Amino acid sequence: MRKSLIFLLVFSVMLVLAGCQLGTSSSDRSITVYSERHYDTDQYLFDLFEQETGIEVRVIDGNADQLINRLDNEGEDTEADVLIIADAGRLHRAKSMDLLQPVHSDVLFNNIPANYRDEDNMWFGLTKRARVLVYHPDRVDPSELSTYEALTEPQFKGRVVTRTSTNIYNQSLMASLIEIMGETEAKAFAAGLTANFARTPAGNDRDQAKYVVEGGADIAIMNTYYIGRMMNSSDRFEQEVANTVKVFFPNQNTSGTHVNVSAAGVTKHANHSEDAIKFIEFLSSETAQSKFASANYEYPVHVNVEIDDLLASWGDFTAQSIPLSVLGEHSYRAAVIMDEVGWE
Amino acid sequence: MRWRRLKHHVNLFSLISVITGLLIVVPMLNILFEIMNPGNETWLHIREHLLMGYVINTLILIGLVAVFSALIGFLSAYVVTRFEFKGRALLSWMLILPLAIPSYIAAYVYADMLSYTGTFSRALRSLHVSHDFNIMSMSGAVFIFVMTLYPYVYMMVRSALSKQSAAFIENARLLGAGKFRQFFQVVLPLVRPALVAGTLLVVLETLNDYGVVAYFNVRVFSFAIFDAWERLGDVGAAIRLSAVLMVIVFVVIFLERFLRGRRRYHLHVKGRPIQRKTLKGINRFILPGALWLMMLLGFFIPLFQLLYYARLTYRTVLNISFVYLTINTLSLAITATLIIIALATILANFNRGNQTAFKKSLLKITNLGYAIPGAVIAIAVLVFFIDIDHRLYPLYRLFNENTARLVLTSTLSMLVFAYVLRFMAIGYNAIEAAYDKVGEKFTEASYSLGHSKLSTLFRIDVPLIKGGLISAAIIVFIDVIKELPLTLILRPTNYDTLATQVFRYAREEMLQETAVPSLMIILIATLLIYGLTHQKKKDVRFHVRRD
Repeated sequence: MRKSLIFLLVFSVMLVLAGCQLGTSSSDRSITVYSERHYDTDQYLFDLFEQETGIEVRVIDGNADQLINRLDNEGEDTEADVLIIADAGRLHRAKSMDLLQPVHSDVLFNNIPANYRDEDNMWFGLTKRARVLVYHPDRVDPSELSTYEALTEPQFKGRVVTRTSTNIYNQSLMASLIEIMGETEAKAFAAGLTANFARTPAGNDRDQAKYVVEGGADIAIMNTYYIGRMMNSSDRFEQEVANTVKVFFPNQNTSGTHVNVSAAGVTKHANHSEDAIKFIEFLSSETAQSKFASANYEYPVHVNVEIDDLLASWGDFTAQSIPLSVLGEHSYRAAVIMDEVGWE
Repeated sequence: MRWRRLKHHVNLFSLISVITGLLIVVPMLNILFEIMNPGNETWLHIREHLLMGYVINTLILIGLVAVFSALIGFLSAYVVTRFEFKGRALLSWMLILPLAIPSYIAAYVYADMLSYTGTFSRALRSLHVSHDFNIMSMSGAVFIFVMTLYPYVYMMVRSALSKQSAAFIENARLLGAGKFRQFFQVVLPLVRPALVAGTLLVVLETLNDYGVVAYFNVRVFSFAIFDAWERLGDVGAAIRLSAVLMVIVFVVIFLERFLRGRRRYHLHVKGRPIQRKTLKGINRFILPGALWLMMLLGFFIPLFQLLYYARLTYRTVLNISFVYLTINTLSLAITATLIIIALATILANFNRGNQTAFKKSLLKITNLGYAIPGAVIAIAVLVFFIDIDHRLYPLYRLFNENTARLVLTSTLSMLVFAYVLRFMAIGYNAIEAAYDKVGEKFTEASYSLGHSKLSTLFRIDVPLIKGGLISAAIIVFIDVIKELPLTLILRPTNYDTLATQVFRYAREEMLQETAVPSLMIILIATLLIYGLTHQKKKDVRFHVRRD
């Protein structure tokens, strides 16, 4: 008696788990988003979208590559309608794996400048961030600084710090330099930079800024929004670090500062592609843009939207003018080069 | 004749065991087959520039972690069981607590404390002292793993020492063996199986970890797998590296069987507790002091740091959805634990008595999931479930004409299945150890009196190994609530757990905000460890067994 009871229990649990969604069909109005970015404030925008359109937004958030892999494996049966990823290179990867579909929307074409969207309209940039030089004003005179390339010069020996080569931001920076200066020059840059590192790369972007304030290095290569985040950190000592360092936009007189976007695309096998397009249009709209960008101290892509006060205080800058799709095209070579020069 | 012999082997137990084994093996085979494919450009690149470093770093890391955690785990268990001192009873269970802190959280907390803005560095600066200990390094990673994982060794050795060794050690003493001989010829051989089994768990956990090594940039195998996948964009190369890792794990597991030795010691004395020596002189302070220091490093320092962060951030993090997170986490963990323990009991039961080569290999393979990085298991499980859904689609149509095709894939069953695959080894090994302790006499007696396997299981085996079952369940439960990569990638939409919430904040480098969900995980695990160590002790009788 007892034996059968136990087995019944186990199997019924399994059955319930399996069966609880058997009855639900996809008739209610909702879209499913696979997202790499999910801030607490994003939820506010999703709720706003639901109020305006009656479309519920369901989210799975995770690592870019895991989401792409899941999408790939699910094939035409996927639930996902929208893919949001915080790097143009990764979106290119999704595109080349044939996971996205082209979208023709005048709203998106108007809201988003051409170099921040895919040339085949597979994905659309929503917020952008710059990869800049952050320095300690006591030890670095801004007149010393000029370009990324200049950091390979001998006077910067042992003074530069950045994350590992496995970090996507560095990989995309390298990819952009391959596009701008060609592979040979880019490799020389990577080798020279590695030779000037103050330490073997480790830690995240915040750790680089802390290392500069600590005195281990003078200049860090990092993303703008981490400075914004640290200034608004719940830990006042992190605020101090962010207030001590200064931001420098490199390559202003040459190729421009490296920027990257977080961007969204409609999945190839989306069941609700129209609603998905509406959702991306909403995120690119003036109302949503300021909120969506400032949630993470990023720059909005919509030209009419005013930037956050903090970002404005750093001043205007010229960004690289290359179409961001090339970041994906060169990302593999960028990785190989960094391995070859021993950038850990 | 043959049919009859076969029929003798076929019963509910063997069926469930074989089916479980196959269910676990099939997704893994996809991984192993990858080795057969010729390597592509990425693989050549990895082999030329990176592979050697990965192998060397992996060996250094697991070597150091194994040696130090075995040493610390063993010594602390030895001190706690052999000596009497103030606070012994308290330490005896608290030494397990570091298990409540996920390694990746400990890594973040320690790195932060030692960073420029961290508590520790600030304190030193106010004393005008600077430190240049860089925790984001190989030695730092060893420290984190040893401090958070040594309890596996501690628990196993402690139970071996307290349950079995008293009489042996006292006899040795009575027979005039010196302290040295007592230790090396009696104590060490007695605890060897436990020591080795505990160290194996530590090594497997270390091989599996990704959070710590990624943050510290320690380039070991799990790091390599993700690097190939993410940076080089080559899932195939990542799976290939996992296959290589599986081979390493095979070797490690084989090594364990070898190191564990064949002899087993059972005793037919009543469970008389060992006579503890009271510590005297300077040792009164040094030995307990060392243990408390370990507690401080492995548990209290990270705990207090997290409490401080929680004070800074609870206003933004604590809200109604946090309650849902907690409920999700608990219900998911309970379901997974029940299933794992049930299956592990059946498997362990299946494995008792005569061991055939088939049984042995089946069990080894079901244990493999423990060592493969979660994200790789996730790929294997996802592919497997999509395949099942495609096969079951006609069945789904019977229930609902317009059903989606991916039914199982969009439910929790996929995640629970992955947990089973991943944590079966823990549940199984704990239950096997419990079975080992009670031997087979009672079970055989029950069979010979005509009881069926099932009836024997519930009337004899389960009551005998109840303690072991509860311990196994608690350890599995703790592992499930700490688990991250599987949960992250295989959960249904809008389904969050405490661990995924920690991940979300950690990814954005918002360490302070991770504190509240981290503390909830630690709280649940701590309560369970307390329960585990304060189970009502039943009068356990030992029996004679020589083999």
